[in-house]
Amino acid sequence: MSEEEDRRKQEGERRHPSEKDQTSMPRRARDSGRVRAAIRTELEEVAEDTAERRPGPAEKGAAPRQKVVTLEHIHLAFEEPILDDVSFHAREGDTIVVVGESGTGKSTILKLLLRLLVPDQGKVTIDGEDITHLNFDDALKVRQKMGMVFQGAALFDSMTVYENVAYPLREHTTLGEDEIEARVREKLQFVDLEPERVMEQMPAELSGGMKKRVGIARGLANNPEIMLYDEPTSRLDPLTTATITYLIIKLQRELGVTSVVVSHDIRSAFRMASKIALLANRRIGFFGTPEEMTGSDDPYIREFLGGF
Amino acid sequence: MRYAPRSHHSNHLILERFNDAAKRGVYSLQDFFVLAGKSLGFIFVKPFYAADLFQQMDAIGVGSLGIVLLTGFFTGMVLALQSAVQLQTFGATDYIGRLIAGSMIRELGPVLAGLMVAGRVGSGIAAQLGSMRVTEQIDALNTLGTDPIKKLVTPRVLAALIMLPILTVINDFVGILGGSVIAKVYLGKPASLYWKTVFEQILSGGFTLHYIPNDFIQGLTKPFVFGGIISMVACYYGLKTSGGTEGVGVATTRTVVTASILILVVDYFLTQILLTVFQQ
Repeated sequence: MSEEEDRRKQEGERRHPSEKDQTSMPRRARDSGRVRAAIRTELEEVAEDTAERRPGPAEKGAAPRQKVVTLEHIHLAFEEPILDDVSFHAREGDTIVVVGESGTGKSTILKLLLRLLVPDQGKVTIDGEDITHLNFDDALKVRQKMGMVFQGAALFDSMTVYENVAYPLREHTTLGEDEIEARVREKLQFVDLEPERVMEQMPAELSGGMKKRVGIARGLANNPEIMLYDEPTSRLDPLTTATITYLIIKLQRELGVTSVVVSHDIRSAFRMASKIALLANRRIGFFGTPEEMTGSDDPYIREFLGGF
Repeated sequence: MRYAPRSHHSNHLILERFNDAAKRGVYSLQDFFVLAGKSLGFIFVKPFYAADLFQQMDAIGVGSLGIVLLTGFFTGMVLALQSAVQLQTFGATDYIGRLIAGSMIRELGPVLAGLMVAGRVGSGIAAQLGSMRVTEQIDALNTLGTDPIKKLVTPRVLAALIMLPILTVINDFVGILGGSVIAKVYLGKPASLYWKTVFEQILSGGFTLHYIPNDFIQGLTKPFVFGGIISMVACYYGLKTSGGTEGVGVATTRTVVTASILILVVDYFLTQILLTVFQQ
């Protein structure tokens, strides 16, 4: 892809349609300034909101929300052991961020949740249902409760954006074409894309950030109760990272979905997590709120957090 | 095994390696047959991906028409040219139609169409599925509750099973047509005589169920089997791809090599079986 094309795409993604044809000022400079300001305010809002959202001392007396996702004493090994007695859970509406160094088996946890992998020992439950011993067809059904956003978005590149987002609907619902189109538009708007402009584009024509958003829209299409994200902010520039982080928080806040995020981006993890699970030496070294994590004296955690 | 202290006897090491390689071979063979079985089984299980099937039939059949026409025509011509020289020494040039028809329908038509499609379509399928694997699109299908074998492999296998016999018939026809051009231009044989001997050949092999010439049974069973080999080998290597874009290249090469060799080897055994069963 040529540099020119690349630049055009990036601009296309960030430019607001109403300002398309104002040409008095160099377009790029004006746009990026505006976007920066917009994101700054968005992030400030989010910071306030997340502070409010986190269960305070008053909430502790209330009945605990239901556990939606649990991993219990998971052991998994291929040629070498990967996970060793890993346990954590997510309650309804939680955003659990699994952090850890590269190559520690973080993505494996998502594959276990989707039952693309079966643990050697231990139990994975989704909505209280043990999924470790399901047959292939039942596993497909459980997967429909979950929306997954892949690291590279994994859009089907033989299909348009519209067909990509409509795919889970066509596959598993009996919705008519009108309803499908309405749903696709709604989901694209939710991820701040303009349906009119992107629907007929092919994934190869989109920039990295736009692909991620379409990936989120596709994950959301079936209105899943659980969203899984594999490195949602990797390989994105800081600005796009901020918007994707914002989207994940917005999803949690507006739709109340339970999320499991795998990431090594500790900064965005702190922004979105209700709890953080630190994976180290094949075990969960820490599981708690971001505040508890920053307050920890554990030398490994201190080292992992580094300058944050 | 991995952490066991290394044996000082080198034969142990060699045996161990041989053992590992053999195990891997058996496992991949098992994987291949599981994939092949599933892809055929899913033909009869809902949902049917009709749109994917037609798209694949178009890609495999219509897309390969050009090379099949070209190879068929030129093979027929060169075959006629070579045979003409031989037949002249016996004064048997009247039989050139019989010779061309027999070789094209029974042997060259199916094998050439198979090899051409293996190169053109097999490599394409392996590269496409391989890229889908390394960009996590296969995982995405699984996650969205679709069986990748049903969605990707079955339409390709079915399309190849349908289209390869059709391509072979076209290949046979243009091959015989190419032969008639040489018969006319080089040997000066009238087209009527040439085509009469072509039909003599088709009728001379005997019939199955009173109406179906045995030559046709041989000539159409083979491409059906080759279609299965090409599509299944390509899907197998495509879905098994690992190691990024380099892996896609490896999968593509392996597909073309394996499918081509299998076509030639299976052709021999198939010919033996078919000759025993259908020849009178």
